[in-house]
Amino acid sequence: MAHAHRPAPEGLDAFFAPRGVAVVGASAEPGGPGHQVVAQLQRTHYAGGIYPVNPRATEVLGLPCYPSILQVPGPVDLAVVVVPAPACLVVAAQLAARRQQRGDAAAAVVVSGGFAEVGDAGRQLQDQLVRTLRTAGIRLVGPNCVGVADAHVGLTTSFDLGPYPAGGASLLSQSGAFAMSFLQWARPLEMVGLCKLASVGNMADVSLTELLAYLAHDPCTRVVGVYLEGVADARAFVQTAARVGQDKPVVVLKPGRTEQGARAARSHTGSVASPDAVYEGAFRQAGVVRARTVSEFYGVVRAFERLPLPRGDRVAVLSAVGGPGTICVDEVAAQSHLRLAHFSPRTRERLRAVLSDLAAVGQPEGYVDMTGALVARTHGDALRILLEDDGVDAVVLLTPPPAFLEEEEVARSVLEAYRDQPEGRRKPVLVVITFGDAALAARRLLEKGGLCTFEFPEEAVRVLARMVAYARARERLRS
Amino acid sequence: MSHPVVERALREGRDALREWEAYELCAAYGIPHPRWELCNSEEEAAAASLRLGNPVVLKVSSPDVLHKSDVGGVLVGLRGEQEVREGFRRLREEVARRAPHARWEGVLVQPLVGGSAEVVVGGLRDPQFGPVVMVGSGGVLVEVLRDVAFRLAPLDRAEALRQIQETSCYRLLQGARGRPPADLEAVADVLVRVGQLLLAEARVRELDLNPVVAGPDGCWAVDARVLLDRSGYTS
Repeated sequence: MAHAHRPAPEGLDAFFAPRGVAVVGASAEPGGPGHQVVAQLQRTHYAGGIYPVNPRATEVLGLPCYPSILQVPGPVDLAVVVVPAPACLVVAAQLAARRQQRGDAAAAVVVSGGFAEVGDAGRQLQDQLVRTLRTAGIRLVGPNCVGVADAHVGLTTSFDLGPYPAGGASLLSQSGAFAMSFLQWARPLEMVGLCKLASVGNMADVSLTELLAYLAHDPCTRVVGVYLEGVADARAFVQTAARVGQDKPVVVLKPGRTEQGARAARSHTGSVASPDAVYEGAFRQAGVVRARTVSEFYGVVRAFERLPLPRGDRVAVLSAVGGPGTICVDEVAAQSHLRLAHFSPRTRERLRAVLSDLAAVGQPEGYVDMTGALVARTHGDALRILLEDDGVDAVVLLTPPPAFLEEEEVARSVLEAYRDQPEGRRKPVLVVITFGDAALAARRLLEKGGLCTFEFPEEAVRVLARMVAYARARERLRS
Repeated sequence: MSHPVVERALREGRDALREWEAYELCAAYGIPHPRWELCNSEEEAAAASLRLGNPVVLKVSSPDVLHKSDVGGVLVGLRGEQEVREGFRRLREEVARRAPHARWEGVLVQPLVGGSAEVVVGGLRDPQFGPVVMVGSGGVLVEVLRDVAFRLAPLDRAEALRQIQETSCYRLLQGARGRPPADLEAVADVLVRVGQLLLAEARVRELDLNPVVAGPDGCWAVDARVLLDRSGYTS
């Protein structure tokens, strides 16, 4: 176990790069959450030590089980605690003792519920839990949470999340179910690569703000997606987001737009300053990308994870279908952050050479309707020409793909044109597969090849608009 | 240490500034407002109007009246001594009738400021974010239209300009319907200064500059309301 000889991880690294993980409350029989966490850690091929802890078992899933954390032999930096709330206090005391004796056990994820979320008695339990852990210098994620994961090292404390495609999207969530839903939704087509996940639950100790600051320095994280319900340190959160935003986008979904607030105001300002309106202003100031809907959150996080940032706002729409293409052009025109591109004469000429006589180029401006008179290769040929035009910053490509074409061939031709752009000079390409999952093979291939696919034209355009807005905000945040 | 007008209000047990006190506070932070004189008789008002220029605005001054126009306490566009004298009498009668218990502290006389656009500027101490600056449109209808945008203080002028651009008051300021474009930079500057005021004056809880009238060569807060936080105050 190579992990065992590493020095103890510092700070929040104890959560994401532990040398060993103890699962306190792992049962020998399948069905319990602890058992399931151990099973997931085995499935993800987590390379550190896995230590089930349970006084009523000797073996869990083929691993020796220990009566308490104090008996665990190897270095164990992270304890996942799934015992009922009152028993968590006993476990916390044992963790504190272990930390004192051995110097490890720096981090705890308390999955169990029954704390502040259930009322005053639970809050008291939670306060005691935090006090015990803090006194011993142990950091806590939770309680009442899914905990943490890192897809790059196969770490998970979630009974739901097993092996997952690794990538650049890190998620911070005040709802375990929200984060898990996104990941499971995206899993079949591998539409997002996961870096780190933290579901913070009651957020009794480690806060969203602290995690966000931590991810700023995480080289694997390309985008941070946050599901935010409310934080006590709202100002610190957005200030941290503005700092992180200098390098990588922070995408936030925050419900509560209907809250009017209970402000008894005697001023005009006081009466219109709903909590959400103030959040909105603070987000814009900090360059935070605020998603309006769940699907927008998914789309924007996916796009930032995969695609290069657009260097400008000039969009080309390349379509193999009339109606959806027109809808797409409409949506580009409606977005204040986007403009339809103006093709150079050379681009027009080159396009006419590869497209059928029936095709419409630049009518309206920025739009290419390839019409049905095309072969699979035409997609890639036309895309390449658009990407090589200096007046184009991004392309939205729409294709069913037509049933008379080999859909995988269409996908390959698109990917080739995209990948042939020199790295570092790449432009984002958002692909709308209008037949949706009826063209599953094409979608899968495109996603695997590093592009983002969408089902609806407006969805793709809105995602692109958010990318352009962030690219602008980043300039400002950096200056 | 708060500004002297804030200190005095707190000492006197008030949780709001008088309008002219609010102007003094604003002036200390470089927020422009029209000149004013507080007058206790029609003679004084008439004399003041000669000094301030035509036309003038008369407004009731009373610590008990927060919404002046609701009690007939505002008269706009009075020209010449005669109109000012009549206006003064009418205003006193109207307020006495509609707000009989309001303490009478005289009438504020100000020159009428013309401009091409009106915006609402506000500030408040948000429970989550602390000092926050608001801009928007709608005047007294701001609650109905909710065409407002917020920023955390402190903010710089470039940020204030982006804030203005988020509401339709941006188009108003650019000169809608053939009006001359207003001084956008001056409005942005007021937002920056409201932010500075909130950061420096910990006792200021809420602030309305409604409206701020903007013209091609500047802008002025032509009404000002400042609410104070008295919690834990001991003189």
